[in-house]
Amino acid sequence: MRDVAIVGAGMVPFGKYQEKTLADIAWPAVKQAVEDAGIKKTDIEATYCGTALGGMMAGQRILKKLGITGLPIINIENACSSSSTAFREAWITVAAGVYDAVLVIGVEKLTKFGGGTLPLEKEDWEVSHGLVMPALYAMRARRYMHEYGLTENDIADVSVKARKHGVWNEDAQFRKEVTREEVLASRPVADPLKLFHCCPSGDGAAAVVICSAEKAKQYSASPIRVIGSEINSGKYMTGYRDMTSPEITLRGAKELYEEAGIGPEDVDLAEVHDAFAIAELLYYEALGFCAKGDAAKLLADGETSVGGKIPVNPSGGLLSKGHPIGSTGVAQIVEIVRQLRGQCGQRQVEGAKVGLTHCTGGGVSGFDHGVCSIHLFAR
Amino acid sequence: MSQELQEALNLAGDAVTTDSDGTVRLVGSECGDCNKNVFPPTAVCPECMSENLAPIKLSAEGKLYSWSVVHAAPKGWNLPFIAAYVDLPEEVRVFAHIVDVDPDSLEMEMPVVARIAALGTEESGAPFESYAFTPVQKGNS
Repeated sequence: MRDVAIVGAGMVPFGKYQEKTLADIAWPAVKQAVEDAGIKKTDIEATYCGTALGGMMAGQRILKKLGITGLPIINIENACSSSSTAFREAWITVAAGVYDAVLVIGVEKLTKFGGGTLPLEKEDWEVSHGLVMPALYAMRARRYMHEYGLTENDIADVSVKARKHGVWNEDAQFRKEVTREEVLASRPVADPLKLFHCCPSGDGAAAVVICSAEKAKQYSASPIRVIGSEINSGKYMTGYRDMTSPEITLRGAKELYEEAGIGPEDVDLAEVHDAFAIAELLYYEALGFCAKGDAAKLLADGETSVGGKIPVNPSGGLLSKGHPIGSTGVAQIVEIVRQLRGQCGQRQVEGAKVGLTHCTGGGVSGFDHGVCSIHLFAR
Repeated sequence: MSQELQEALNLAGDAVTTDSDGTVRLVGSECGDCNKNVFPPTAVCPECMSENLAPIKLSAEGKLYSWSVVHAAPKGWNLPFIAAYVDLPEEVRVFAHIVDVDPDSLEMEMPVVARIAALGTEESGAPFESYAFTPVQKGNS
């Protein structure tokens, strides 16, 4: 396998673009990534486009706007991990030597559903019985509170940190700080989770251009290397399972660190899948940033804020940046690229050399999550 | 019960049954080759892929693993409702609504018992009924 690097990154600010088509939301992100790479559009050999609910041929609909056509365009659905999966598949083709330069897109338009909880597949028996994503995370939260003494204040503080980081990110949907009291006073969604514990619904797109490491040098003075790529499906469990322990993330992180030959202590910052505030705490532990049961302390000590030992979601995370689900995986990667290049202004993690992205996708009964993809990057 | 739910549960009228004494029981599948129990009923064992499965009546009583009072859900559900996971002794975890209880009185691992309850409203306006659980009443278990 060849080394692979990212040479271009772009995204549009996440928000509500009800009046725009999916293609019109996405093409500026793609153009930005291509121009950032300084690559001729004719040198792009293939495109992988991740979207969960964007409909058929999303990649073709976007790329015809920019005249990037006549190449393989592969559309990928994998719930919230759609575009992290697309990135992984693109990485395989470049690493394997099939292509030298590949474009990866993540895109979603959730405003077309008119708000509310994410529409899930009704063939699933839990979904058809009323399960919604906030309820699933809420049950994880309640069990974790019971077993480890986590408090509602601790969970609220995840949102407070996320909103603080979001103020510094011009691509974030929410750019205003909130207090713990405001989080706790927001309307209940799925007890103990309140509205401000939940990522906002919205639209957005992100894109990156990847190359073989050798070819990357001709485009970028500071290519960002992909030093680990991991994807897994959850294990189907019909019986009892420990909902305080995200098995797919634990398993994936272990495999990824082994593959990359580094450990969690070597990671300088991470973008993790904080669709709901409780999730970020579970992932501190699953990704090895702290021991089981110590997540609230890691947060309270400021270690996961910008300026701490292991800043998590300096972009504001899904809680502030927003979560147009198919866009999220690539948008996380865009943040890591910009951080490792030192382009992040007030939210810059000083001296960052190694970054991690973590993206799950769920909503299928019997799984912790249906999918999880984790990547490691270095400058 | 809605058509959608019946299809999703693979019910065909036999995933929930009522004993002659009125006890509501969920019915799963038991694998004749590896003994794994699964709910809802299935035609193939997810452990060993055997198709040698037989219906198994699951215990009416289980323990509450976790729950949430849900205030936001698609149209049709009675809001708020209590979503929960209930662990049955046959090593099966079931997603269910908890009904007829003040949520503040719920406790981890408390015993709950199956029953039939109205959980929402069909598009036709008819009540939507399915299985649910409720805490076991003291002296009634």
